[in-house]
Amino acid sequence: MSLKIRRVALTNFRKFRDPFVLDGLTDGLNVIIEPNETGKSTLLEAMRAAFFIRHNTANRLARSYAPHGEAVAPQIEIDFEARGEDWHVSKRFLKSASVEVRGPNGRAQGEDAEAQLQALLGARRDTSQAGDAAAHGALGLLWVGQAQALDVTPPGEIVRDSVRATLEAEVGTIMGGAAYQRVRPRIDSQFADYWTNTGRPSGRQSAARTEQEALERVATEAAARLAALEQGFADLEAARARLKLLDRDLADTTDAERRKALVGQIDVARSAAQLRDTRRAEQGRLADQVKGLQDLTVRLAEARKAVSDTAAALASARDKRSGLEEELAGTRERAGTARDRLAMARDTRRAAHAALDAATRLVAARTRQAEIARARQRHAELLPLEAELTAARALGATVIAASVIKALEDRERAVDKARAAVEAGATRVEFAGDVSGVEIDGIPATPGDRTLSRETRIRLGGAEVIIRPPAGLQSAETTLANARDDLAATLADHGVASVADARARNEAARDAVANGRTIEARIVAVTPAVPSLGIAAGASAVKSFVAGLSERADAEAGQEEPDLAALTVAAADTDSALARAEGTDETAAAQLRELEARNAPLMVQAAGAERDAVNAVAQLAALEAKPEVARLEEALSAARQHEAEALVRLQDAERAANAHDVAAIERQIGVLDKRADVARTQRIDLEKAIAGLEARIEAEGGKGLADRAAVAREEADAAAANLARVTQEADTLKLLRDTLENARAETSRTFVGPVARRARRYIERLLPGADPNFGDDLGLTSIARGGPGENCGDLSKGTQEQLAVLTRLAFADMLLEQGMPVSLILDDPLVYSDDTRLDLMTEILTDAATRMQVILLTCRDRAFRHLGNRITLTGAP
Amino acid sequence: MLRLIHTADWQLGKPYGRFASDVRAALGEARFDAIDAIGKAAVEHGAAHVLVAGDVFDTEGPEDRVIVQAVSRMQRYACTWWLLPGNHDFARNSGLWDRVCAKGAANIRVVTEPVPCELDPGHWLLPAPLTHRHNLDDPTAVFDTMETPGATLRIGLAHGSIRDFSSRGEAQNQIAPDRAQRSHLDYLALGDWHGALRVDARTWYSGTPETDRFQRDEPGFALLVTLEPGVEPVVSPIRTGRFQWLMRDWTIPDADGFAAACDRLLGPIEPSATLLQLSLAGIVSLSDRIAILGKLDNDLRHRLRHLAVAADDLVGRPSEQDLADLRVEGMIGTAAAKLMTIIEAGGSDAVTAKRALERLFVEYQRGQDAA
Repeated sequence: MSLKIRRVALTNFRKFRDPFVLDGLTDGLNVIIEPNETGKSTLLEAMRAAFFIRHNTANRLARSYAPHGEAVAPQIEIDFEARGEDWHVSKRFLKSASVEVRGPNGRAQGEDAEAQLQALLGARRDTSQAGDAAAHGALGLLWVGQAQALDVTPPGEIVRDSVRATLEAEVGTIMGGAAYQRVRPRIDSQFADYWTNTGRPSGRQSAARTEQEALERVATEAAARLAALEQGFADLEAARARLKLLDRDLADTTDAERRKALVGQIDVARSAAQLRDTRRAEQGRLADQVKGLQDLTVRLAEARKAVSDTAAALASARDKRSGLEEELAGTRERAGTARDRLAMARDTRRAAHAALDAATRLVAARTRQAEIARARQRHAELLPLEAELTAARALGATVIAASVIKALEDRERAVDKARAAVEAGATRVEFAGDVSGVEIDGIPATPGDRTLSRETRIRLGGAEVIIRPPAGLQSAETTLANARDDLAATLADHGVASVADARARNEAARDAVANGRTIEARIVAVTPAVPSLGIAAGASAVKSFVAGLSERADAEAGQEEPDLAALTVAAADTDSALARAEGTDETAAAQLRELEARNAPLMVQAAGAERDAVNAVAQLAALEAKPEVARLEEALSAARQHEAEALVRLQDAERAANAHDVAAIERQIGVLDKRADVARTQRIDLEKAIAGLEARIEAEGGKGLADRAAVAREEADAAAANLARVTQEADTLKLLRDTLENARAETSRTFVGPVARRARRYIERLLPGADPNFGDDLGLTSIARGGPGENCGDLSKGTQEQLAVLTRLAFADMLLEQGMPVSLILDDPLVYSDDTRLDLMTEILTDAATRMQVILLTCRDRAFRHLGNRITLTGAP
Repeated sequence: MLRLIHTADWQLGKPYGRFASDVRAALGEARFDAIDAIGKAAVEHGAAHVLVAGDVFDTEGPEDRVIVQAVSRMQRYACTWWLLPGNHDFARNSGLWDRVCAKGAANIRVVTEPVPCELDPGHWLLPAPLTHRHNLDDPTAVFDTMETPGATLRIGLAHGSIRDFSSRGEAQNQIAPDRAQRSHLDYLALGDWHGALRVDARTWYSGTPETDRFQRDEPGFALLVTLEPGVEPVVSPIRTGRFQWLMRDWTIPDADGFAAACDRLLGPIEPSATLLQLSLAGIVSLSDRIAILGKLDNDLRHRLRHLAVAADDLVGRPSEQDLADLRVEGMIGTAAAKLMTIIEAGGSDAVTAKRALERLFVEYQRGQDAA
């Protein structure tokens, strides 16, 4: 049965500071269209507060009810109809909080009133801070606040339980939710002790396994150590047994006796060997004897033959030499004569040549003296010539250059010119008469003319005539003086008295130069080169030669001139005589050498033959002197017989020795000794090994390894048993949990069917052919449209919102069937819907309003104004 | 007359690795305490000799602590201890017994050679020490040829099973059953069998002085033996054991029957010195089974020194009521039904499913209690 809100009155509730009353609500569809901020949402909030929020709470939500910044008491009154009966609730929050419920059973206040409300509306106490829609039961789901409609919210527990109750009849079973909720977490927590969420062993299972593995490892290790120790014991026992065996072997006398017998055998063998050696030596000696006698016979024959051979050779050599001897003596004599003659020829020749040489030297000395004398003479001629040349050259050097002569002539002409000028202007004075007493400028005058060129005082007795030439004369005179000075200076420079003098000098100089050249030619003529004296051409060579001569007298001057030609002829004669002598001598010497060469080998041959013959004779004599030679044949045959007998004896001895092989016996003894040796060594090794094992056993044995191994084994077994128990427990829990989960899923599926069926009625109108799928929590999870399901979250916002409204309608229907007081309040719904969908949705809502009260709160005038009962909050129509 | 104590199978150093560490420590210590019990008995009854017929130590290679504990405890008493190597602690060169002798206790005689020794003038001990873990020949055969000049009493000391009574398959070291008669022994002190046992008038197993396994209910004993030439020996067991190792197989009709059985068990025993190996069988309702297992875990286990339970044969079949209870619980009922299906199908999964169902029931019940 629908819950019907009749009237809502607010005071001091959020933006409704002044008392506000909403009434005129009908049982069906009511539309409240107002602009934003007029308090539509506040109205829904106020209704929730009146029904579900405890009056005496001071939680955040309740505090938010007071108008902003005012400490007043928010108050709500609601008149409504539920289960066909009229009810009134009045709630006051914060200050003097109170609640009053009036209903068919009278009035109730405080907790009683709250309990009546909860029972009536199927809600439970909301202990949350900000309001918990799930606690508000059916109306928590069906009263949809702004924007909440977007979520396809699964219903809260209360709704689910209510719905289940509704569905009980249909599915014929019950969820048993409470008992399940008690048991399941416990099983889950026990399960978590053994398994991870994903079903892998963990916690106690892992711990038990780890412990079991660790203990098993310990046990295995302990067993291994014990086994090692036991092996030590076994080894020790084995070693001791072997030692015992060895000791018995060592104590055994068989080997020793055998060795003794062998030693006896070896003595016998040794004497046989000795005898054999003796026999062998004896036989050897006899064989040597035979051989010696045979040798002797051969040597005798050889010696005899040698004697005869050498004698023949000697005779032949001597024969060959005797003819050559005479020829050699003749040749030697001739050679001696030739040599004497040669010596004589040489002496003669030497004397002739000496005489010739002396004569030649004398002639040469004389020639030289003559040459020297000529050189002296030329030297004497040379000296005056050189003096002349020097004088000529000096004179030649005084020549004055033509330019100088010209300059002198110029200057002389200048003097003449200046003099003319002076004479032209000068005062001529002529003194005639007695001029004594006359003084000119203090100097007694002389008769004659005088030219006065300057002021001149002529004293005539007491008188004085002063003559003053004209002034122009003065300068002419100066010019003349200068010219004269210049001329004089130039003359002086060149050392001449006058220009004429200079000219004369130049003439003389030119002559001197020509003369000098003549003298030079004459000097060359008197100084020719004299090769025999080593004098080169030129004056200086002659002078130095002469300067080097000593003033000796010519000693040979007085000697007679020798006859060189005669001497030369004599020397040539001696030369040819010598040549002849030399030819003779060479021939004689060659003949002698040839003869001597032929003689020498014959001499050697003869000497060798002689020596061989002597040797052969001596050897033969020595051999024949030996005593055995006398009866050589007999001795030889006797010796051969002895040897044969000795050989027979040797063979006997060898047979005896081979019968007793010393080496074989020694080998056998060696084997016996070695065996005893090895046994002793083994014994020592064994004792060492035993000592080692004993030490090891002593070290390890005291550690209680057997006890430890037993303990470890039992602990490992216990751990294995524990692991089996734990595994069993884990398996049990796993099976139980899985079974519980399966039971839950199965049950959920049973319940989801009817919900889906109801929802499909609506959803098919919206999305024809679509099939809604609900989760275990009865929340819509997906929509199947011909193909695989689409998750709700993937659908368009408009569709999501529409689905949210429609599933709520489905739940509302079910709750209504159960007789729950339900109503649908939608705050600003369907904001994303297009016109077609909106029309469809309003049609569905209008249809729903025939079964329950529906209140739409919206700001969208055009979309909803044509619907149902329109109510205003502002009083406007 | 000769009075002596006959004991065997001390098994010192036995590890008990399967037990919890506190139980393990107590059991190990009790074996040493048995030496004290024997020593005191010897003093009390005027026995100058204690014959230990083999298996003094549990292994041939015990920890030094075990040897020192054993030797030092024996040294406390004036009697002479004759220790015979058994199959667990067989004699060999450089082995265990050399270590024992090295401790230099004057009143301990280790008989590692089969050579007769005189306990007192005319009283000869004929030992048959074992030199291997497994001896195929009768070790006591040498008794026939042992010279005991001037013997008034010949006492054999050996370790092994009598050839024809070994029902538990111990076939090694077999000893002729008529050995005492054959070798003219006045008494043959045997070890190896862990319970006290009379083979014939002159042949006895003393058993272990401290029980070491679940085999029989009796605690450990030593034998006080009085010998006189020509007279049958007088043998009287003396209790030396501390712990009782009990084995019980109970067939349980229901939880009440189980509680009654528990009471009957606990009546005569000393629970802190009792180890119990309990096998349960029977078919009970699931809730009874849970109650029974709960009582075992929460009560009996804590009373006893040790409890080992084999409850697999105690089938906890869910009763109709159990199943009906579960069925109304929706999903849990569905789960239970699924598990029942697996159980009924049988096979290895059925075992796990049975446990799972039991667990489900336990948790469901616990929820009910809390609710």
